[in-house]
Amino acid sequence: MNEELDSQLSAMFDDELATAECELLARRLSRDTELRARWERYAVIAAAIRAERGVRLNARVARRVSVIVGAEPALAAAAASGHAPRRWLRPVAGAAVAASVAAVSILWLRGHTVPGAVVAAPELAAVPASRVTAPAVVRAAARTAGPDSYVVPPATRGATAIVPATELANYVVAHSTFSPPVARRNLLSSFMTSEPGAAGPIALSTDGAQDPPRDAKGSAQ
Amino acid sequence: MPRAARSNERLRALALAWAVAAAGALAALEPVCGYAAEGDSPARKAAPAATPAEWLERMNRALTRRNYDGTFSHWQGGTVETLRIIHRLQDGQVAERLVSLDGSGREFIRNGSSLACYLPDRRTVLVEQRPAQESLVGFPAVDSQAASLYDIRELARMRLNRRDTHVISVSPRDEFRYGYRLWIDDSTAMPIKTQLCDSDGHVIEQLVFGSLTMQAHIPDSEFRPEVSTDGFQWLRNDAAPLAAAPASAAVWRALKLPPGFRMMMRGPQTLPGSTAPVDHLVFSDGLASVSVFVETGGAAGPGGVAEVRSARVGSSSAFSTVSNGYKITAVGEVPPATVRFIATQVRAETAATPAATATPAAATTPAASRR
Repeated sequence: MNEELDSQLSAMFDDELATAECELLARRLSRDTELRARWERYAVIAAAIRAERGVRLNARVARRVSVIVGAEPALAAAAASGHAPRRWLRPVAGAAVAASVAAVSILWLRGHTVPGAVVAAPELAAVPASRVTAPAVVRAAARTAGPDSYVVPPATRGATAIVPATELANYVVAHSTFSPPVARRNLLSSFMTSEPGAAGPIALSTDGAQDPPRDAKGSAQ
Repeated sequence: MPRAARSNERLRALALAWAVAAAGALAALEPVCGYAAEGDSPARKAAPAATPAEWLERMNRALTRRNYDGTFSHWQGGTVETLRIIHRLQDGQVAERLVSLDGSGREFIRNGSSLACYLPDRRTVLVEQRPAQESLVGFPAVDSQAASLYDIRELARMRLNRRDTHVISVSPRDEFRYGYRLWIDDSTAMPIKTQLCDSDGHVIEQLVFGSLTMQAHIPDSEFRPEVSTDGFQWLRNDAAPLAAAPASAAVWRALKLPPGFRMMMRGPQTLPGSTAPVDHLVFSDGLASVSVFVETGGAAGPGGVAEVRSARVGSSSAFSTVSNGYKITAVGEVPPATVRFIATQVRAETAATPAATATPAAATTPAASRR
Protein backbone atom coordinates (compact mmCIF):
# COMPACT_ATOMS: atom_id res chain seq x y z
CA MET A 1 0.00 0.00 0.00
CA ASN A 2 1.47 3.35 -0.92
CA GLU A 3 1.96 6.22 1.46
CA GLU A 4 -0.58 8.44 -0.25
CA LEU A 5 -3.36 5.96 0.37
CA ASP A 6 -2.24 5.52 3.96
CA SER A 7 -2.29 9.24 4.36
CA GLN A 8 -5.76 9.54 2.84
CA LEU A 9 -7.09 6.78 5.04
CA SER A 10 -5.79 8.32 8.23
CA ALA A 11 -7.00 11.75 7.13
CA MET A 12 -10.43 10.26 6.61
CA PHE A 13 -10.34 8.86 10.09
CA ASP A 14 -9.24 12.27 11.38
CA ASP A 15 -12.02 14.03 9.47
CA GLU A 16 -9.49 15.95 7.46
CA LEU A 17 -10.26 14.59 4.04
CA ALA A 18 -12.41 16.52 1.57
CA THR A 19 -15.88 15.11 0.99
CA ALA A 20 -15.21 14.26 -2.63
CA GLU A 21 -12.05 12.43 -1.70
CA CYS A 22 -13.93 10.60 1.02
CA GLU A 23 -16.36 9.24 -1.49
CA LEU A 24 -13.60 8.19 -3.85
CA LEU A 25 -11.78 6.45 -1.06
CA ALA A 26 -14.94 4.75 0.13
CA ARG A 27 -15.48 3.38 -3.37
CA ARG A 28 -11.94 2.13 -3.40
CA LEU A 29 -12.55 0.51 0.00
CA SER A 30 -15.31 -1.52 -1.56
CA ARG A 31 -12.90 -2.98 -4.13
CA ASP A 32 -9.55 -3.08 -2.40
CA THR A 33 -9.43 -5.85 0.19
CA GLU A 34 -6.01 -4.81 1.49
CA LEU A 35 -7.15 -1.25 2.04
CA ARG A 36 -10.32 -2.48 3.67
CA ALA A 37 -8.31 -4.69 6.02
CA ARG A 38 -6.29 -1.63 7.00
CA TRP A 39 -9.44 0.35 7.62
CA GLU A 40 -10.88 -2.44 9.70
CA ARG A 41 -7.81 -2.52 11.90
CA TYR A 42 -8.13 1.22 12.43
CA ALA A 43 -11.76 0.74 13.34
CA VAL A 44 -11.06 -2.10 15.74
CA ILE A 45 -8.28 -0.21 17.47
CA ALA A 46 -10.33 2.94 17.69
CA ALA A 47 -13.30 1.01 19.03
CA ALA A 48 -11.14 -0.61 21.64
CA ILE A 49 -9.72 2.73 22.70
CA ARG A 50 -13.11 4.36 22.86
CA ALA A 51 -14.57 1.50 24.83
CA GLU A 52 -11.81 0.63 27.23
CA ARG A 53 -9.46 3.04 28.87
CA GLY A 54 -6.54 1.44 30.61
CA VAL A 55 -6.04 -1.00 27.76
CA ARG A 56 -2.79 -2.91 27.85
CA LEU A 57 -1.40 -3.99 24.53
CA ASN A 58 -0.06 -7.43 23.87
CA ALA A 59 3.54 -7.57 25.10
CA ARG A 60 4.96 -8.38 21.70
CA VAL A 61 3.19 -5.47 20.06
CA ALA A 62 4.30 -3.21 22.88
CA ARG A 63 7.93 -4.18 22.32
CA ARG A 64 7.70 -3.41 18.62
CA VAL A 65 6.12 -0.14 19.44
CA SER A 66 8.77 0.77 21.97
CA VAL A 67 11.49 0.69 19.35
CA ILE A 68 9.48 2.74 16.93
CA VAL A 69 8.75 5.28 19.60
CA GLY A 70 12.44 5.55 20.34
CA ALA A 71 13.35 5.94 16.69
CA GLU A 72 10.77 8.58 15.85
CA PRO A 73 11.43 12.03 17.31
CA ALA A 74 7.83 13.20 16.99
CA LEU A 75 6.52 10.23 18.94
CA ALA A 76 9.29 10.39 21.51
CA ALA A 77 8.47 14.04 22.11
CA ALA A 78 4.82 13.18 22.47
CA ALA A 79 5.71 10.44 24.91
CA ALA A 80 7.74 12.87 26.97
CA SER A 81 4.92 15.40 27.04
CA GLY A 82 2.28 12.79 27.71
CA HIS A 83 0.13 14.07 24.85
CA ALA A 84 -0.55 12.38 21.57
CA PRO A 85 -0.17 14.30 18.33
CA ARG A 86 -3.48 15.58 17.11
CA ARG A 87 -3.34 13.61 13.91
CA TRP A 88 -2.91 10.44 15.83
CA LEU A 89 -3.56 8.07 13.01
CA ARG A 90 -1.30 9.73 10.49
CA PRO A 91 1.57 7.42 9.54
CA VAL A 92 4.89 8.75 10.74
CA ALA A 93 8.03 8.79 8.64
CA GLY A 94 7.03 5.73 6.71
CA ALA A 95 7.00 3.47 9.74
CA ALA A 96 4.49 0.65 9.74
CA VAL A 97 1.07 2.16 10.18
CA ALA A 98 -0.26 -0.47 12.51
CA ALA A 99 2.67 0.00 14.87
CA SER A 100 2.32 3.77 14.74
CA VAL A 101 -1.31 3.52 15.64
CA ALA A 102 -0.50 1.24 18.52
CA ALA A 103 2.27 3.56 19.70
CA VAL A 104 0.15 6.66 19.75
CA SER A 105 -2.73 4.76 21.24
CA ILE A 106 -0.51 3.91 24.17
CA LEU A 107 0.51 7.51 24.57
CA TRP A 108 -3.09 8.56 24.43
CA LEU A 109 -3.94 6.04 27.07
CA ARG A 110 -1.10 7.15 29.26
CA GLY A 111 -2.66 10.56 29.36
CA HIS A 112 -6.03 9.18 30.38
CA THR A 113 -5.16 6.48 32.85
CA VAL A 114 -7.95 5.59 35.16
CA PRO A 115 -7.17 4.69 38.76
CA GLY A 116 -6.05 1.11 39.09
CA ALA A 117 -5.62 0.61 35.37
CA VAL A 118 -2.53 -1.10 34.04
CA VAL A 119 -1.06 0.35 30.88
CA ALA A 120 1.76 -0.61 28.62
CA ALA A 121 4.32 1.91 29.81
CA PRO A 122 6.38 -0.47 31.94
CA GLU A 123 6.68 -2.82 29.01
CA LEU A 124 7.86 0.00 26.78
CA ALA A 125 10.74 0.68 29.10
CA ALA A 126 11.53 -2.96 29.71
CA VAL A 127 13.06 -3.77 26.34
CA PRO A 128 16.71 -2.82 25.91
CA ALA A 129 17.02 -1.07 22.57
CA SER A 130 20.30 -2.81 21.87
CA ARG A 131 18.62 -6.20 21.74
CA VAL A 132 16.17 -5.41 18.99
CA THR A 133 17.10 -3.36 15.99
CA ALA A 134 14.52 -0.96 14.71
CA PRO A 135 14.51 -2.05 11.05
CA ALA A 136 13.88 -5.64 11.99
CA VAL A 137 11.02 -4.65 14.20
CA VAL A 138 9.52 -2.38 11.58
CA ARG A 139 9.68 -5.18 9.07
CA ALA A 140 8.06 -7.53 11.53
CA ALA A 141 5.30 -5.04 12.20
CA ALA A 142 4.77 -4.39 8.52
CA ARG A 143 4.36 -8.08 7.89
CA THR A 144 1.36 -8.20 10.17
CA ALA A 145 -0.63 -6.21 7.63
CA GLY A 146 -1.58 -9.35 5.71
CA PRO A 147 1.07 -11.96 5.07
CA ASP A 148 0.51 -15.05 3.02
CA SER A 149 2.57 -17.08 5.41
CA TYR A 150 4.53 -16.26 8.52
CA VAL A 151 6.42 -17.85 11.35
CA VAL A 152 5.97 -16.83 14.95
CA PRO A 153 8.98 -17.40 17.19
CA PRO A 154 8.39 -19.97 19.90
CA ALA A 155 7.56 -18.65 23.33
CA THR A 156 10.73 -18.37 25.34
CA ARG A 157 9.44 -17.51 28.75
CA GLY A 158 9.13 -20.29 31.26
CA ALA A 159 5.96 -22.25 31.13
CA THR A 160 3.92 -21.40 34.20
CA ALA A 161 0.75 -23.28 33.41
CA ILE A 162 0.22 -26.05 35.92
CA VAL A 163 -1.84 -28.25 33.67
CA PRO A 164 0.59 -28.86 30.79
CA ALA A 165 -0.28 -26.39 28.06
CA THR A 166 -0.81 -28.97 25.34
CA GLU A 167 -3.04 -31.00 27.59
CA LEU A 168 -5.03 -27.91 28.50
CA ALA A 169 -5.33 -27.08 24.81
CA ASN A 170 -6.72 -30.56 24.21
CA TYR A 171 -9.28 -30.08 26.93
CA VAL A 172 -10.28 -26.66 25.66
CA VAL A 173 -10.70 -27.87 22.08
CA ALA A 174 -12.65 -30.95 23.16
CA HIS A 175 -14.86 -28.85 25.44
CA SER A 176 -15.48 -26.22 22.79
CA THR A 177 -17.61 -28.59 20.74
CA PHE A 178 -20.10 -28.71 23.59
CA SER A 179 -20.22 -25.02 24.47
CA PRO A 180 -23.20 -22.84 23.64
CA PRO A 181 -22.39 -20.55 20.67
CA VAL A 182 -21.51 -17.31 22.46
CA ALA A 183 -19.62 -19.00 25.28
CA ARG A 184 -17.75 -21.07 22.74
CA ARG A 185 -16.60 -18.01 20.84
CA ASN A 186 -15.43 -16.39 24.08
CA LEU A 187 -13.59 -19.52 25.12
CA LEU A 188 -11.79 -19.99 21.82
CA SER A 189 -10.98 -16.29 21.53
CA SER A 190 -9.41 -16.35 24.97
CA PHE A 191 -7.47 -19.43 24.03
CA MET A 192 -6.25 -17.84 20.79
CA THR A 193 -5.04 -14.69 22.48
CA SER A 194 -3.71 -15.70 25.84
CA GLU A 195 -1.09 -17.95 27.24
CA PRO A 196 -2.97 -20.19 29.65
CA GLY A 197 -2.12 -18.69 33.00
CA ALA A 198 -2.03 -20.59 36.20
CA ALA A 199 -3.68 -19.64 39.42
CA GLY A 200 -2.06 -22.49 41.32
CA PRO A 201 -0.63 -24.82 42.23
CA ILE A 202 -2.93 -25.20 45.13
CA ALA A 203 -2.16 -28.00 47.54
CA LEU A 204 -5.08 -29.25 49.52
CA SER A 205 -5.39 -32.31 51.62
CA THR A 206 -7.21 -35.24 50.12
CA ASP A 207 -10.13 -34.61 52.42
CA GLY A 208 -10.27 -30.95 51.49
CA ALA A 209 -10.21 -31.74 47.82
CA GLN A 210 -13.22 -33.96 48.15
CA ASP A 211 -15.46 -31.27 49.56
CA PRO A 212 -17.17 -28.51 47.65
CA PRO A 213 -16.43 -24.93 48.66
CA ARG A 214 -17.86 -24.09 52.04
CA ASP A 215 -20.26 -21.51 50.70
CA ALA A 216 -21.48 -23.71 47.90
CA LYS A 217 -25.06 -24.76 48.00
CA GLY A 218 -25.12 -27.64 45.59
CA SER A 219 -28.10 -29.67 44.57
CA ALA A 220 -28.16 -33.42 44.37
CA GLN A 221 -28.15 -34.57 40.79
CA MET B 1 -14.88 24.76 10.06
CA PRO B 2 -17.64 25.12 12.72
CA ARG B 3 -17.65 22.39 15.31
CA ALA B 4 -21.05 21.02 14.33
CA ALA B 5 -20.11 20.92 10.69
CA ARG B 6 -16.86 19.16 11.51
CA SER B 7 -18.75 16.64 13.53
CA ASN B 8 -21.17 16.03 10.72
CA GLU B 9 -18.32 15.66 8.27
CA ARG B 10 -16.63 13.16 10.52
CA LEU B 11 -19.77 11.15 10.99
CA ARG B 12 -20.37 11.24 7.29
CA ALA B 13 -16.89 9.96 6.53
CA LEU B 14 -17.15 7.21 9.09
CA ALA B 15 -20.63 6.32 8.01
CA LEU B 16 -19.69 6.16 4.38
CA ALA B 17 -16.69 3.95 4.93
CA TRP B 18 -18.43 1.71 7.42
CA ALA B 19 -21.40 1.34 5.15
CA VAL B 20 -19.20 0.28 2.30
CA ALA B 21 -16.85 -1.89 4.31
CA ALA B 22 -19.41 -3.75 6.35
CA ALA B 23 -23.03 -2.78 6.39
CA GLY B 24 -23.24 -2.26 2.66
CA ALA B 25 -22.03 -5.76 2.05
CA LEU B 26 -24.49 -7.04 4.60
CA ALA B 27 -27.40 -5.34 2.96
CA ALA B 28 -26.40 -6.52 -0.47
CA LEU B 29 -26.17 -10.13 0.60
CA GLU B 30 -29.08 -10.38 2.94
CA PRO B 31 -31.65 -11.44 0.36
CA VAL B 32 -29.29 -14.13 -0.88
CA CYS B 33 -28.81 -15.44 2.64
CA GLY B 34 -32.52 -15.84 3.17
CA TYR B 35 -33.10 -13.94 6.38
CA ALA B 36 -36.82 -13.77 5.92
CA ALA B 37 -37.07 -17.54 5.78
CA GLU B 38 -35.34 -17.79 9.14
CA GLY B 39 -37.48 -15.16 10.74
CA ASP B 40 -34.56 -12.82 11.21
CA SER B 41 -36.10 -9.90 9.42
CA PRO B 42 -35.41 -6.43 10.77
CA ALA B 43 -36.83 -5.59 14.14
CA ARG B 44 -39.12 -2.99 12.64
CA LYS B 45 -41.17 -5.92 11.38
CA ALA B 46 -40.44 -8.66 13.91
CA ALA B 47 -39.80 -6.82 17.16
CA PRO B 48 -43.34 -6.84 18.55
CA ALA B 49 -43.25 -10.63 18.82
CA ALA B 50 -39.63 -11.06 19.86
CA THR B 51 -38.93 -11.50 23.54
CA PRO B 52 -35.38 -11.22 24.93
CA ALA B 53 -35.16 -15.03 25.06
CA GLU B 54 -36.22 -15.20 21.42
CA TRP B 55 -33.45 -12.78 20.53
CA LEU B 56 -31.00 -15.13 22.21
CA GLU B 57 -32.37 -18.01 20.16
CA ARG B 58 -32.06 -15.99 16.96
CA MET B 59 -28.53 -15.06 17.89
CA ASN B 60 -27.62 -18.70 18.51
CA ARG B 61 -29.08 -19.66 15.15
CA ALA B 62 -27.18 -16.89 13.40
CA LEU B 63 -23.87 -17.81 15.05
CA THR B 64 -24.19 -21.48 14.15
CA ARG B 65 -26.02 -21.47 10.82
CA ARG B 66 -24.99 -18.35 8.95
CA ASN B 67 -21.97 -17.71 6.77
CA TYR B 68 -19.93 -14.77 8.00
CA ASP B 69 -16.50 -13.23 8.02
CA GLY B 70 -15.59 -10.65 10.63
CA THR B 71 -12.78 -8.97 12.50
CA PHE B 72 -13.23 -8.20 16.16
CA SER B 73 -11.31 -6.89 19.13
CA HIS B 74 -11.07 -9.12 22.15
CA TRP B 75 -10.53 -7.38 25.48
CA GLN B 76 -9.81 -9.37 28.59
CA GLY B 77 -7.76 -8.68 31.67
CA GLY B 78 -6.54 -5.35 30.35
CA THR B 79 -5.20 -6.84 27.12
CA VAL B 80 -6.73 -6.19 23.73
CA GLU B 81 -6.04 -8.19 20.61
CA THR B 82 -7.58 -8.46 17.18
CA LEU B 83 -9.02 -11.69 15.81
CA ARG B 84 -10.74 -12.75 12.65
CA ILE B 85 -13.52 -15.30 12.49
CA ILE B 86 -14.86 -16.99 9.37
CA HIS B 87 -17.83 -19.32 9.69
CA ARG B 88 -19.67 -21.36 7.08
CA LEU B 89 -22.43 -23.94 7.15
CA GLN B 90 -22.59 -25.71 3.82
CA ASP B 91 -24.27 -29.01 3.05
CA GLY B 92 -24.66 -29.64 6.76
CA GLN B 93 -20.93 -29.29 7.39
CA VAL B 94 -19.53 -26.62 9.68
CA ALA B 95 -16.32 -24.90 8.64
CA GLU B 96 -14.84 -22.32 10.94
CA ARG B 97 -11.56 -20.51 11.26
CA LEU B 98 -10.52 -18.29 14.14
CA VAL B 99 -7.20 -16.48 13.84
CA SER B 100 -5.29 -14.32 16.28
CA LEU B 101 -4.13 -11.43 14.09
CA ASP B 102 -1.65 -9.75 16.35
CA GLY B 103 -0.67 -11.98 19.21
CA SER B 104 0.40 -15.57 19.28
CA GLY B 105 -0.63 -16.22 15.69
CA ARG B 106 -2.69 -19.14 16.89
CA GLU B 107 -5.37 -20.52 14.61
CA PHE B 108 -8.32 -22.77 15.27
CA ILE B 109 -9.76 -24.42 12.18
CA ARG B 110 -12.77 -26.69 12.08
CA ASN B 111 -13.72 -28.58 8.97
CA GLY B 112 -16.70 -30.80 9.62
CA SER B 113 -15.61 -33.31 12.23
CA SER B 114 -11.94 -32.33 12.11
CA LEU B 115 -10.64 -29.77 14.60
CA ALA B 116 -7.13 -28.40 14.19
CA CYS B 117 -5.40 -26.04 16.55
CA TYR B 118 -2.24 -24.37 15.27
CA LEU B 119 0.02 -23.19 18.08
CA PRO B 120 3.00 -21.41 16.44
CA ASP B 121 4.31 -20.32 19.81
CA ARG B 122 4.66 -23.98 20.76
CA ARG B 123 5.50 -25.23 17.28
CA THR B 124 2.62 -27.64 17.66
CA VAL B 125 -0.51 -28.57 15.75
CA LEU B 126 -3.26 -30.46 17.54
CA VAL B 127 -5.64 -32.37 15.30
CA GLU B 128 -8.71 -33.94 16.76
CA GLN B 129 -11.13 -36.06 14.81
CA ARG B 130 -14.60 -35.90 16.30
CA PRO B 131 -17.36 -38.39 15.58
CA ALA B 132 -19.14 -37.31 12.42
CA GLN B 133 -22.45 -37.33 14.24
CA GLU B 134 -21.24 -34.46 16.38
CA SER B 135 -20.58 -32.20 13.42
CA LEU B 136 -23.27 -29.83 14.59
CA VAL B 137 -23.70 -30.14 18.30
CA GLY B 138 -26.94 -28.79 19.59
CA PHE B 139 -27.53 -26.79 22.71
CA PRO B 140 -30.47 -26.47 25.02
CA ALA B 141 -33.16 -23.96 24.38
CA VAL B 142 -33.35 -20.83 26.49
CA ASP B 143 -36.16 -22.33 28.51
CA SER B 144 -37.93 -21.66 31.77
CA GLN B 145 -35.09 -23.23 33.72
CA ALA B 146 -32.64 -20.81 32.19
CA ALA B 147 -35.01 -18.04 33.19
CA SER B 148 -34.90 -19.23 36.78
CA LEU B 149 -31.10 -19.12 36.80
CA TYR B 150 -30.64 -15.92 34.84
CA ASP B 151 -32.52 -12.66 34.62
CA ILE B 152 -32.94 -12.18 30.86
CA ARG B 153 -34.18 -8.78 29.75
CA GLU B 154 -33.86 -6.17 27.07
CA LEU B 155 -31.97 -3.13 28.32
CA ALA B 156 -32.29 -0.85 25.32
CA ARG B 157 -32.28 -0.44 21.62
CA MET B 158 -29.12 1.16 20.49
CA ARG B 159 -27.23 2.19 17.42
CA LEU B 160 -23.82 0.60 17.29
CA ASN B 161 -21.50 1.07 14.33
CA ARG B 162 -24.49 2.30 12.35
CA ARG B 163 -26.41 -0.87 13.07
CA ASP B 164 -29.68 -1.02 14.98
CA THR B 165 -29.26 -3.39 17.89
CA HIS B 166 -31.25 -4.88 20.72
CA VAL B 167 -29.21 -4.82 23.93
CA ILE B 168 -30.03 -8.01 25.83
CA SER B 169 -28.84 -8.57 29.37
CA VAL B 170 -28.41 -12.06 30.81
CA SER B 171 -27.67 -11.70 34.52
CA PRO B 172 -26.88 -14.71 36.72
CA ARG B 173 -28.87 -15.06 39.91
CA ASP B 174 -25.96 -16.65 41.79
CA GLU B 175 -22.17 -16.79 41.76
CA PHE B 176 -21.84 -20.10 39.88
CA ARG B 177 -22.14 -18.61 36.40
CA TYR B 178 -21.28 -15.59 34.33
CA GLY B 179 -23.67 -13.22 32.63
CA TYR B 180 -23.70 -11.48 29.27
CA ARG B 181 -24.65 -8.18 27.74
CA LEU B 182 -25.27 -8.64 24.05
CA TRP B 183 -25.74 -6.05 21.31
CA ILE B 184 -27.70 -8.12 18.80
CA ASP B 185 -28.02 -6.75 15.29
CA ASP B 186 -31.65 -6.32 14.27
CA SER B 187 -31.10 -7.52 10.72
CA THR B 188 -28.65 -10.36 11.07
CA ALA B 189 -29.18 -11.36 14.74
CA MET B 190 -25.40 -11.44 15.09
CA PRO B 191 -23.96 -10.23 18.41
CA ILE B 192 -21.80 -7.37 17.19
CA LYS B 193 -20.73 -6.57 20.73
CA THR B 194 -20.57 -8.99 23.63
CA GLN B 195 -19.66 -8.37 27.25
CA LEU B 196 -19.07 -11.21 29.67
CA CYS B 197 -19.89 -10.12 33.23
CA ASP B 198 -19.41 -11.62 36.65
CA SER B 199 -22.29 -12.05 39.08
CA ASP B 200 -21.79 -8.46 40.26
CA GLY B 201 -22.19 -7.14 36.73
CA HIS B 202 -18.53 -6.20 36.25
CA VAL B 203 -17.30 -6.65 32.68
CA ILE B 204 -14.52 -9.22 32.54
CA GLU B 205 -14.32 -9.83 28.80
CA GLN B 206 -15.51 -7.93 25.74
CA LEU B 207 -15.71 -8.70 22.03
CA VAL B 208 -16.53 -5.95 19.51
CA PHE B 209 -16.77 -6.48 15.79
CA GLY B 210 -14.99 -3.83 13.74
CA SER B 211 -16.27 -5.39 10.55
CA LEU B 212 -18.69 -8.17 9.79
CA THR B 213 -19.96 -9.38 6.46
CA MET B 214 -22.58 -12.04 5.89
CA GLN B 215 -21.72 -13.95 2.75
CA ALA B 216 -23.68 -16.35 0.60
CA HIS B 217 -20.58 -18.34 -0.30
CA ILE B 218 -17.19 -18.62 1.35
CA PRO B 219 -14.56 -20.58 -0.58
CA ASP B 220 -12.64 -23.51 0.94
CA SER B 221 -9.43 -21.51 0.62
CA GLU B 222 -10.56 -19.29 3.51
CA PHE B 223 -10.35 -22.24 5.86
CA ARG B 224 -6.69 -23.01 5.34
CA PRO B 225 -4.08 -21.86 7.86
CA GLU B 226 -1.80 -18.94 7.07
CA VAL B 227 0.88 -20.00 9.47
CA SER B 228 3.83 -21.97 8.15
CA THR B 229 4.01 -25.33 9.91
CA ASP B 230 7.56 -26.28 8.90
CA GLY B 231 9.17 -28.22 11.71
CA PHE B 232 6.00 -28.31 13.77
CA GLN B 233 5.07 -31.25 15.95
CA TRP B 234 1.73 -32.76 14.90
CA LEU B 235 -0.35 -34.42 17.57
CA ARG B 236 -3.37 -36.38 16.41
CA ASN B 237 -5.95 -38.71 17.83
CA ASP B 238 -5.79 -41.10 14.92
CA ALA B 239 -7.51 -43.86 16.86
CA ALA B 240 -11.17 -43.89 16.00
CA PRO B 241 -12.89 -42.16 18.91
CA LEU B 242 -15.85 -44.48 18.78
CA ALA B 243 -13.65 -47.53 19.26
CA ALA B 244 -12.10 -46.08 22.38
CA ALA B 245 -12.67 -48.07 25.49
CA PRO B 246 -13.68 -46.08 28.54
CA ALA B 247 -10.85 -44.81 30.70
CA SER B 248 -12.07 -46.92 33.55
CA ALA B 249 -14.52 -49.66 34.36
CA ALA B 250 -16.55 -47.21 36.37
CA VAL B 251 -19.46 -44.97 35.50
CA TRP B 252 -18.60 -41.43 36.47
CA ARG B 253 -21.14 -39.01 37.76
CA ALA B 254 -21.30 -35.96 39.98
CA LEU B 255 -22.69 -36.47 43.47
CA LYS B 256 -23.78 -32.85 43.64
CA LEU B 257 -23.89 -30.08 41.10
CA PRO B 258 -24.29 -26.31 41.36
CA PRO B 259 -27.97 -25.32 41.06
CA GLY B 260 -29.38 -25.80 37.57
CA PHE B 261 -26.54 -27.86 36.12
CA ARG B 262 -27.40 -31.20 34.55
CA MET B 263 -25.31 -33.83 32.86
CA MET B 264 -25.77 -33.54 29.10
CA MET B 265 -23.43 -36.20 27.79
CA ARG B 266 -21.05 -38.89 28.94
CA GLY B 267 -18.70 -40.96 26.81
CA PRO B 268 -15.13 -42.04 26.12
CA GLN B 269 -12.79 -40.38 23.67
CA THR B 270 -9.12 -40.07 22.88
CA LEU B 271 -7.29 -36.76 22.80
CA PRO B 272 -4.52 -35.73 20.38
CA GLY B 273 -1.09 -37.06 21.30
CA SER B 274 -2.48 -39.72 23.60
CA THR B 275 -3.53 -43.30 23.14
CA ALA B 276 -5.19 -43.59 26.53
CA PRO B 277 -8.94 -43.08 26.47
CA VAL B 278 -10.48 -40.29 28.49
CA ASP B 279 -13.99 -40.24 29.91
CA HIS B 280 -15.66 -36.99 28.94
CA LEU B 281 -18.71 -35.70 30.84
CA VAL B 282 -20.53 -32.51 29.88
CA PHE B 283 -22.66 -30.52 32.31
CA SER B 284 -24.77 -27.50 31.38
CA ASP B 285 -27.27 -25.12 32.91
CA GLY B 286 -28.63 -24.19 29.48
CA LEU B 287 -26.37 -21.21 28.89
CA ALA B 288 -23.01 -22.27 30.32
CA SER B 289 -21.28 -25.61 30.07
CA VAL B 290 -18.53 -27.48 31.89
CA SER B 291 -16.59 -30.49 30.62
CA VAL B 292 -15.07 -33.00 32.99
CA PHE B 293 -12.28 -35.29 31.77
CA VAL B 294 -11.38 -38.39 33.74
CA GLU B 295 -8.19 -40.25 32.92
CA THR B 296 -6.02 -42.83 34.59
CA GLY B 297 -2.49 -42.20 35.72
CA GLY B 298 -3.04 -39.55 38.32
CA ALA B 299 -0.90 -39.88 41.41
CA ALA B 300 -1.21 -38.27 44.79
CA GLY B 301 1.62 -35.97 45.78
CA PRO B 302 4.00 -36.44 48.70
CA GLY B 303 2.36 -37.41 51.96
CA GLY B 304 -0.83 -38.54 50.31
CA VAL B 305 -1.83 -34.97 49.48
CA ALA B 306 -4.01 -34.77 46.43
CA GLU B 307 -2.53 -32.77 43.60
CA VAL B 308 -4.96 -29.93 42.98
CA ARG B 309 -4.30 -27.49 40.19
CA SER B 310 -6.19 -24.64 38.62
CA ALA B 311 -5.67 -22.61 35.47
CA ARG B 312 -7.38 -19.84 33.57
CA VAL B 313 -7.93 -19.53 29.85
CA GLY B 314 -9.04 -15.97 29.57
CA SER B 315 -12.29 -15.77 31.48
CA SER B 316 -12.73 -19.54 31.39
CA SER B 317 -11.56 -21.76 34.17
CA ALA B 318 -9.92 -25.14 34.58
CA PHE B 319 -9.44 -27.19 37.72
CA SER B 320 -7.65 -30.49 38.07
CA THR B 321 -7.47 -32.90 40.97
CA VAL B 322 -6.37 -36.48 41.53
CA SER B 323 -8.65 -38.94 43.23
CA ASN B 324 -8.03 -42.66 43.71
CA GLY B 325 -5.53 -42.82 40.88
CA TYR B 326 -7.66 -40.87 38.40
CA LYS B 327 -6.98 -37.36 37.23
CA ILE B 328 -10.21 -35.38 37.07
CA THR B 329 -10.13 -32.07 35.19
CA ALA B 330 -13.04 -29.67 34.75
CA VAL B 331 -12.99 -26.95 32.06
CA GLY B 332 -15.69 -24.40 31.37
CA GLU B 333 -16.66 -20.80 30.72
CA VAL B 334 -17.75 -20.40 34.32
CA PRO B 335 -16.19 -18.94 37.49
CA PRO B 336 -13.31 -20.90 39.10
CA ALA B 337 -15.51 -21.97 42.02
CA THR B 338 -17.87 -23.77 39.64
CA VAL B 339 -15.26 -25.95 37.92
CA ARG B 340 -13.79 -26.72 41.32
CA PHE B 341 -17.20 -27.65 42.71
CA ILE B 342 -17.94 -30.01 39.85
CA ALA B 343 -14.48 -31.60 39.61
CA THR B 344 -14.41 -32.44 43.29
CA GLN B 345 -17.88 -33.98 43.16
CA VAL B 346 -17.22 -36.43 40.33
CA ARG B 347 -17.11 -40.03 41.55
CA ALA B 348 -17.16 -43.52 40.17
CA GLU B 349 -20.73 -44.63 40.63
CA THR B 350 -20.15 -48.38 40.73
CA ALA B 351 -17.48 -50.83 39.70
CA ALA B 352 -19.06 -52.35 36.64
CA THR B 353 -17.88 -54.55 33.85
CA PRO B 354 -16.35 -52.79 30.85
CA ALA B 355 -19.08 -54.17 28.62
CA ALA B 356 -21.73 -52.50 30.71
CA THR B 357 -20.09 -49.11 30.56
CA ALA B 358 -18.64 -48.93 27.07
CA THR B 359 -21.18 -46.49 25.79
CA PRO B 360 -19.92 -44.80 22.62
CA ALA B 361 -20.00 -41.04 22.84
CA ALA B 362 -22.09 -40.67 19.73
CA ALA B 363 -24.64 -43.11 20.99
CA THR B 364 -24.93 -41.45 24.35
CA THR B 365 -28.33 -39.93 24.64
CA PRO B 366 -28.22 -36.38 25.87
CA ALA B 367 -29.92 -35.92 29.18
CA ALA B 368 -31.70 -32.83 27.97
CA SER B 369 -33.28 -31.77 24.75
CA ARG B 370 -31.11 -30.31 22.05
CA ARG B 371 -32.00 -28.12 19.21
